[in-house]
Amino acid sequence: MKLRGRIVVLVVWAAAVAACAWLAWHSRYTTDLSAFLPRSPSPSQRILVEQLHQGVVSRLVLVGIEGAPAPVLAAISDALTQRLAGAPEFAYVSNGAQERLTADGEFLMKHRYLLSPGVTPERFTLTGLREALENDVELLGSPLSTLVSRLLPADPTGELQRLLELLEPESGPQKRHGVWFNTDGTRALVLAQTHAGGFDIDGQERALARMRSAFDAAAEQRPTGVRLQATGPGVFAVAARAGIEQDVARISILAVLIVSVVLLLLYRSPLALILTLLPVASGAIAGVAAVGLAFGSVHGVTLGFGATLLGEGVDYAIYLFTNRIPGSEPGRSLARVWPTLTLGVLTSVVGFSALMFSDFTGLAQLGLFSIVGLIAAYAVARFVLPQLVPEHFGVRPTAGLGPALTWAADRAWLLRVPLLVLVVGSALWLTLRSGGLWDDRLESLSPVAESDKRLDEAMRRDLGAPDVRYLVVAKAATEQAALEVAESVGAMLEHARQTGALEGFDSPATILPSDATQRTRQAAIPETDILRETLDQAADGFPFRKQLFEPFLQEVSAARQAPLVSAGDLKGTGLALRLESLLVAHNDGWIAMLPLRGVRDPGLVAAALHDANGVELLDLKGEADALYHSYRGQALRFALIGAGAIALLLLASLRSPRRAAEVLLPLVAAILVTCTLLTMGGRQLGIFHLVGLLLVVGVGSNYTLFFERETFGRTDPQRMLLSLALCNACTVIGFGLLSLARAPVLSAIGTTVALGAFLSLLFGAILAARMRP
Amino acid sequence: MISGTSRARRTNSLLWLLAVLVPVALAGEPESIQRQSVPELWGLEQLMVELGRLQHSQARFIERKYLKVLKSPLELSGTLEYDAPSRLVKRTLEPKPETLTVEEDRLVIESPARGRSRTLRLAEYPVLWAFVESFRSTLKGDLAALERFYQVALEGGPQRWQLSLTPRDPKLSALIESIRIDGSKGRITRIEVRETQGDRSVMTVLEGAP
Repeated sequence: MKLRGRIVVLVVWAAAVAACAWLAWHSRYTTDLSAFLPRSPSPSQRILVEQLHQGVVSRLVLVGIEGAPAPVLAAISDALTQRLAGAPEFAYVSNGAQERLTADGEFLMKHRYLLSPGVTPERFTLTGLREALENDVELLGSPLSTLVSRLLPADPTGELQRLLELLEPESGPQKRHGVWFNTDGTRALVLAQTHAGGFDIDGQERALARMRSAFDAAAEQRPTGVRLQATGPGVFAVAARAGIEQDVARISILAVLIVSVVLLLLYRSPLALILTLLPVASGAIAGVAAVGLAFGSVHGVTLGFGATLLGEGVDYAIYLFTNRIPGSEPGRSLARVWPTLTLGVLTSVVGFSALMFSDFTGLAQLGLFSIVGLIAAYAVARFVLPQLVPEHFGVRPTAGLGPALTWAADRAWLLRVPLLVLVVGSALWLTLRSGGLWDDRLESLSPVAESDKRLDEAMRRDLGAPDVRYLVVAKAATEQAALEVAESVGAMLEHARQTGALEGFDSPATILPSDATQRTRQAAIPETDILRETLDQAADGFPFRKQLFEPFLQEVSAARQAPLVSAGDLKGTGLALRLESLLVAHNDGWIAMLPLRGVRDPGLVAAALHDANGVELLDLKGEADALYHSYRGQALRFALIGAGAIALLLLASLRSPRRAAEVLLPLVAAILVTCTLLTMGGRQLGIFHLVGLLLVVGVGSNYTLFFERETFGRTDPQRMLLSLALCNACTVIGFGLLSLARAPVLSAIGTTVALGAFLSLLFGAILAARMRP
Repeated sequence: MISGTSRARRTNSLLWLLAVLVPVALAGEPESIQRQSVPELWGLEQLMVELGRLQHSQARFIERKYLKVLKSPLELSGTLEYDAPSRLVKRTLEPKPETLTVEEDRLVIESPARGRSRTLRLAEYPVLWAFVESFRSTLKGDLAALERFYQVALEGGPQRWQLSLTPRDPKLSALIESIRIDGSKGRITRIEVRETQGDRSVMTVLEGAP
């Protein structure tokens, strides 16, 4: 090439790299794991996923304090709760101690005549009042008289008690020394709610930091060994992000180091090493820039894929150098390799492009990053690298390796029978194994470590948070309409409860009745004078002092005129937290959620709700599993389409079914055996493994292509085998290191592709047509 | 909505409220106790030793509750049963049958008329616990347990003694002014509970099995 052309190429390349680097530098980087929770299909599933993301559930932090005798833990729990109560990061903090609950008691007492369902016209009739007073006398005889006699003058009809009955936690946490504890008294429990959503990881991190410093201050003179344990969606997200950040940095550095060492050992030339890494570096920068442009932000996990790009991107330069015979005309030997390399790039690109249509934003990013990165690396290797290589530059690979590989490859066909046995065995194993091939639980996408999950479950159990499976969801245009729907659904559910279909349920309308209901209750209260007269009559024959119920008469008549209770009045109580979890603003409407307890007959419950409009009975476990199922179905579809497209591409460019089959056969064998290896020991495959299998086709075909008879015949076998082995080693190193990552998406794809790529090469060699001399 | 208005549930929610509004922090060791001067040869220790000898006892009781909200006192009667070291049963027969059983740290309330029973852990209801211990620890002769909750003062002699219990915790003393236990030798004859708002209950323990 003329000098001028050379300069033009280099200038264009430098400018492109600079532009991409600028873009990459200015991209926003995220590690929000929700990118790996898919966008969801049905509306009810969307609610589910949204609640997972930002709902009150996602903002809960469960805190355990361990490692000291119970009284010490209780004292620390109190101190911690007090310090956190005023912190701006937390909306609510409670350890079960009275102060917090008193706020609830005061709220209920103040608004009892608007909140209690006992406030009906019948309640204030002669019969209704007599019944209430009879009840009171009975309670005064019990050991509870201390309390009853104090409440009696203001609340003879027992509305506060009725409200407590309704709102009493079904299985509240155990208490010791006045605060929540686990069953055996070894862990004090605190429940906190952050302002930040569970997936606002920065916000969650600030909240956690605040909690840690508050704990350190609270436990200043603690005995050694006292520790703070926190779990919850936000805590997990923070831990996962830290994990991803560490993993990505560690894996990328390791991959570069190991690949460099391998290349140095073979090339024994630092210049060759630098030139080999040049296309990869350009590709990575271009990939990041493209993702930043297309998605607005770059996910940390995507950067983790840089390691795999390294594995494949170095291939082009390796072919370039190892197939270049020193002193010879560089063009000729390479001219034979480029068509195959180009086809290899295309198959990889087709494989990765199936990812781009995924509902998982994260996977779509991985797809785009890999495609752009590979094409850029390929282009740099093909057009830029030759301009940079000094004339007469060539690599003399370590002696002995080439002949050894040739010797092995010549005899590889001997393994065809064992390979057949292995493939048939794998196929049988995969069809016959019990327990199913696929892990169908949504949790399998979760990046949370098993031990953290167990701790979280234990604390949830101790805190008596019921494991809700069935949930009634009611949609309405306004908050009031949602509450009204919740009330009518509540009536239907109460009816179903009496038939034994379920044990009970929670409703936002229990905590905050609709305005209409509150007005009905106000209307049920008679005029003060009339009520006074009826009460006097009712009290006749009971030993109550005269004028005793004056506070009652005053408060009940005040309630008739009182402003209606709104959500704002709940501020600062634990009830606000409950209301917020049951009544949420959603898009342009409101959603009321009524979790059901002890559902014995879902069919009966569904039938009871038959007439309700805009109301849905959700089986959360069923929905979650169906959701996952649909994601997997989609991933499977994309994988099949991707594999089919690769097959078509091979068929079209090789122009022969036989040649295409020679390329594909080793891949099929590699996939079967990879699946078998992955599922050994009872493990199951998830969505990310499936994605990995597709990449095995895209990446593995790069190796089997060269074993195809006609391609192989055109090359120098020894140099070709050497470059194949080297390329494969780099790919296996890149993906193999990825399998060490803690994020399931990275480790699953890494393991699958590393195994599959290695097996593709091996099986390709075994199945290759016998080489001619 | 969630449950019927069963009385047992109501009782439970009242206890919950009791725990909510008037809790007692029980952490920490009791401070050293200032005992009043008592006759040299006979004192708290001796009384407690004598009380502690009792392994089993049964008696009838009559309880009168003088409540400010009522014009006339309520009267309840039934039987008491004690098995050392920690089981105590108060069986009210009149006017409505109800059984309270305390065993170790559990309190069981049974209302046969309503066919319901409810079990509570005393550790979760500190006020109730303190109340139970005033009686049970005395029967047991467990001075340490008694002093954990109350300041204890003794008057009189072996033939006719009087224990005065004053709550230590300010939250309990907001409810209960004092508890006075009268007895003769190793036997309790009368328990009077004075509440801060002027309510008072007197339980007379009648000698002999019912």
